[in-house]
Amino acid sequence: MRAWTWINERTGAGKIWEALFARKIPEAKGWVAWLYTLGSASLFVFTIQAVTGALLAMNYVPSPDHAHDSIRFIESQVFLGSFIRGLHHWGATFMVVLVALHMLRVYFMAAYKYPREATWLVGVVLFLLVMGFSFTGYLLPWDQKAYWATMVGANIAGQAPALGSYLAKILKGGEDLGAATLARFYSLHVLVLPMTIAVAILAHLFLVVWHGISEPPLKESNKGD
Amino acid sequence: MEKETGQDALKVSRRSFLGWAAGLMGAAIAAILGGSGFGYFISPAFKKREEDWVNLGRVDQIRLGVPTKAEFTVRKRDAWMTTERRSSAWILTSNGKDFTVFDPKCTHLGCPYRWDEATKKFLCPCHAAVFDVDGSVVKGPPPRPLDRYPVKVSSGRILILPLNEQRKT
Repeated sequence: MRAWTWINERTGAGKIWEALFARKIPEAKGWVAWLYTLGSASLFVFTIQAVTGALLAMNYVPSPDHAHDSIRFIESQVFLGSFIRGLHHWGATFMVVLVALHMLRVYFMAAYKYPREATWLVGVVLFLLVMGFSFTGYLLPWDQKAYWATMVGANIAGQAPALGSYLAKILKGGEDLGAATLARFYSLHVLVLPMTIAVAILAHLFLVVWHGISEPPLKESNKGD
Repeated sequence: MEKETGQDALKVSRRSFLGWAAGLMGAAIAAILGGSGFGYFISPAFKKREEDWVNLGRVDQIRLGVPTKAEFTVRKRDAWMTTERRSSAWILTSNGKDFTVFDPKCTHLGCPYRWDEATKKFLCPCHAAVFDVDGSVVKGPPPRPLDRYPVKVSSGRILILPLNEQRKT
């Protein structure tokens, strides 16, 4: 207890706990209440992705002559390697699904309206960042599927009017999809995007706590009573 | 306020029950995920060294009593890579059954030594070290006898473990 008092007086940990976890949230009943968990679920899966990603990076090399071999090493030689990689693999899919469902919930409950527009905008940025993680992470196994999926992605970018060919080259780090592309995507996946998403997540969470959670919309028949 | 009597005292409020349940489930999830990640992270500490026995050739090709130099290739697995390294060793046997295999580097500063047929000694050119046929130091600066590789004979072939690190004397 004395330790807690010491920490609390010097950090305000109790106030922070109250603001984050003991705050008032609207009452929701039945399955609708579950829709309010999608944001937290996304955050949880993000944490898993961050931890398993850091672990995978310890044994992965983003180079055409080692990428696939290093992944095979993780799968077959490293203790729990295939489990950790499995978590990251399926977590990536779940992340996209959860984020999309969360976005739909906010949209259909009209929770993006005043005064929560900024929360929505940061949320849109987060959605795009998750898409960026998906796209860059997909190339890293450096197998046929990864290679051709990225080729398609680069070609799509190349279709943009006027700037297309430049965009495709920026994306690929050169004329062809190769070593430079893999290193570039790896840097984006483990350095650029994580730093950006960390800032965006903090901003999003701050806004969620600051504004409080919006009420579930009332049914037509309940209005006015 | 209710007065706490017998049964009521044992009652757990819904709030505290759900709080505990959520806490326990959270702890279980954290333990499984955190434990797996921690295990992955510290697993190199418990990984056994792979024993890559190298084939030096047939037992009957080694002359009795005379050290024979054997050249061989060591294939070493380095995580996801395999590296190859040319190396050599001195094989010695007195009866064709029991073999001694010496590391080909002088124990002083790692120079390659040679067998001198005339004096029946191993001579190191760098600092004039002299080793006896059993590897013991006869003369010169080496701090210990010649290093030996673990050796075994399997189906008529000599196998050794060419370890890189220096063994303590």
